[in-house]
Amino acid sequence: MFIARSEYDRGINTFSPEGRLFQVEYSLEAIKLGSTAIGIATSHGVLLGVEKRVTSTLLETSSVEKIVEIDSHIGCAMSGLQADARSMIEHARVESQNHSFHYNERLGVESCTQAICDLALRFGEGADGEESVMSRPFGVALLIAGIDEEGPQLYHAEPSGTFYRYDAKAIGSGSEGAQAELQNEFHKSLSLEEAETLVLKTLKQVMEEKVDSRRVQLASVTKDKGFRIYSDEEMAVVVERLPTN
Amino acid sequence: MPGFDFSNYNRNAALHAQGVPLPKATSTGTTIVGCMFDGGVVIAADTRATSGPIVADKNCEKLHYIAPQIWCAGAGTAADTEFTTAIISSNLELHALSTGRKPRVVTCMTMLKQHLFRYQGHIGAYLVVAGVDPTGVGLYTVHAHGSTDKLPYVTMGSGSLAAMAIFETQWKQKMTREEAIKLASDAIQAGIFNDLGSGSNVDVCVITEEKASLMRNYIRPNQREVKQKDYKFKRGTTAVLNEKVITREEISKYVTVHELSSDDDVVVVEKMDIDA
Amino acid sequence: MASLLSSNPTLASNPSYSFSQAPQNAAAGNREHAFYPYTDNGGSTLGITGNDFAILAGDTRSTSGYSINTRYSPKVFRIGGDDETGEGAHIILSVVGYAADGTALKERLNAIVKMYKYQHGKRMSVKACAQRLATILYGKRFFPYYVTAILGGLDEDGKGALYSYDPVGSYEREQCRAAGAAASLIMPFLDNQVNFKNQYSPGSGVGHDLEARQVTPLPFHEVEQLVRDAFTSATERHIEVGDGLQMLVITKDGIEEKYFPLKRD
Repeated sequence: MFIARSEYDRGINTFSPEGRLFQVEYSLEAIKLGSTAIGIATSHGVLLGVEKRVTSTLLETSSVEKIVEIDSHIGCAMSGLQADARSMIEHARVESQNHSFHYNERLGVESCTQAICDLALRFGEGADGEESVMSRPFGVALLIAGIDEEGPQLYHAEPSGTFYRYDAKAIGSGSEGAQAELQNEFHKSLSLEEAETLVLKTLKQVMEEKVDSRRVQLASVTKDKGFRIYSDEEMAVVVERLPTN
Repeated sequence: MPGFDFSNYNRNAALHAQGVPLPKATSTGTTIVGCMFDGGVVIAADTRATSGPIVADKNCEKLHYIAPQIWCAGAGTAADTEFTTAIISSNLELHALSTGRKPRVVTCMTMLKQHLFRYQGHIGAYLVVAGVDPTGVGLYTVHAHGSTDKLPYVTMGSGSLAAMAIFETQWKQKMTREEAIKLASDAIQAGIFNDLGSGSNVDVCVITEEKASLMRNYIRPNQREVKQKDYKFKRGTTAVLNEKVITREEISKYVTVHELSSDDDVVVVEKMDIDA
Repeated sequence: MASLLSSNPTLASNPSYSFSQAPQNAAAGNREHAFYPYTDNGGSTLGITGNDFAILAGDTRSTSGYSINTRYSPKVFRIGGDDETGEGAHIILSVVGYAADGTALKERLNAIVKMYKYQHGKRMSVKACAQRLATILYGKRFFPYYVTAILGGLDEDGKGALYSYDPVGSYEREQCRAAGAAASLIMPFLDNQVNFKNQYSPGSGVGHDLEARQVTPLPFHEVEQLVRDAFTSATERHIEVGDGLQMLVITKDGIEEKYFPLKRD
């Protein structure tokens, strides 16, 4: 796989003769190293779930933040280089606040995703030769969950700047297995509670460590409560519900 | 000493320096014209009076009587044109009485310019003086500062350019009375429609050797259409907060009360001029 | 004519005021010569809403000083249309004051509403457009658009919506609003005829107990009559109002334009 790419994987804005941007493709590889994150969109709301890699018993698990709020009606889960995600999320938050300042309404979920993806290709110099903002593509993928007048929605945004809407999507190191599981288990009439179980069940299958309320994190976006990260107590209840095998 | 009272001048100057705004005078924003013809002279005016951008009077009279065969059209500050023409009219009448002759247009013009010059432009009267006297037909303009012109056709006021445009394109020598009336009223209409300070109707006064005839509202090109809706309120729409009945006995302490017989001879005190 | 041109400049520029020769103590010493980029182009606008419609109207005269620039220059525009005819628009805007700023503001809002549709994949609501217009106006807080704007459309429930603005973006949703040169002439008429101010229900009580007349949204034909009467009346008494009355009526079926001639004097 990594043979004979000596010339064209240096310049981040240089196409290879086969028409590829290697640095962008490498950034997708970085995501495959990240912790698994899963999102499921049901008709009642969207659910996000991530695995937290607890690398040390001395680690304060609450400081591992892989699901964050963008606005009261939009949240996002990440996989890959977390530091890169911070600047994307900051941008999304500003965009969302700007929208409500200018239009006295909440930013649409798709518009929010588009705003984030607009950032993705700001590496290299601009068309008019202006200084670049970033030196390389982002090394992180996002699952953006939100609710607007179109209903609950889930989007997957990649470092390449493309995004797609999904009913259910898994990203990160365990994404291949997890996606296959979601493919089998997802159906349109899933309840939020069933989705909670499905997320954890799927995470459990792809995680090396055992699933407990410290090692996974859930969040939901619903019409009534907006974006909400599950408390430790709520997590414990969902984990308790998991079939033991 | 007769004349204007300047005792408040210093007070007003002090108030103005402190930023108190000046009172707004009613101005006759105005188009006025005059035009000679074979055997006489015609003057004409619009009928709009304004106070700033507001129409103060939709049908005012800007043609003033000075003598039986001398009339004057006035532009500028309404009060100044009215009082100045009235004063000169009086003095010219006295002059005619003491000389036993018909007053001359040039005399009227001279009295006006001397009066206005004395007040250095503070009297904002801009006039067109026209008439027929034993020396012939006269037509003059008099400016607020006292300068005068003697011309076969003249215009004044904010609509003077619009009106002069008509004269300069259509005027010809030795016009008939009818041609002159048409030309003067066309000039006024140019002012009415193209100058915001002028509007409503055309007043015309034709002076010949025999007589002067004032044709009030000679043309009325700006009649208001009927309103879409009727704005009559139901009786009782206005709140009555308190009521007090004054008996005839009480009131007769201050005024004389006449008994009126029921319907026949109802006294009409004053007929109110209701806006059309 | 000589005296008028050669003498006192204050009086020459202001021939109709006798008081223009007042002492100008402040003029002594240094005088500032500043560029003043604004002019007043006169005219008036008016908006009224009903249950399922909104009307914006404006006269079509444009003035400067005592002159008429044109007898047909619209002050009411369609916003967010598909082409230059405004076809497909769902918002209407009226602007009165400085005409150049009015045109600039309308063009800018129109572009923003179109961009919004591309960026967010949906039509901008009147509520959103109202807030956006406020931010546009406030964005020029220290070099304002010299206009009074009124925005109209239908809200999320299909009810008539009207928003009125000051030149720097303070806004409010209202039933009716008059703006421009004859606003002070028209607004009291609207207060009385639309919101029934100073009207009481006959026989509903005595003195202070008399009940105010119930306010109900007016039907369309009655509102149209009020608008036409407001403008013919303003034309009678304000020199900057006249020539033509342009009206945009927005309902669920779209936007209808109407034109009625006004007096031209």
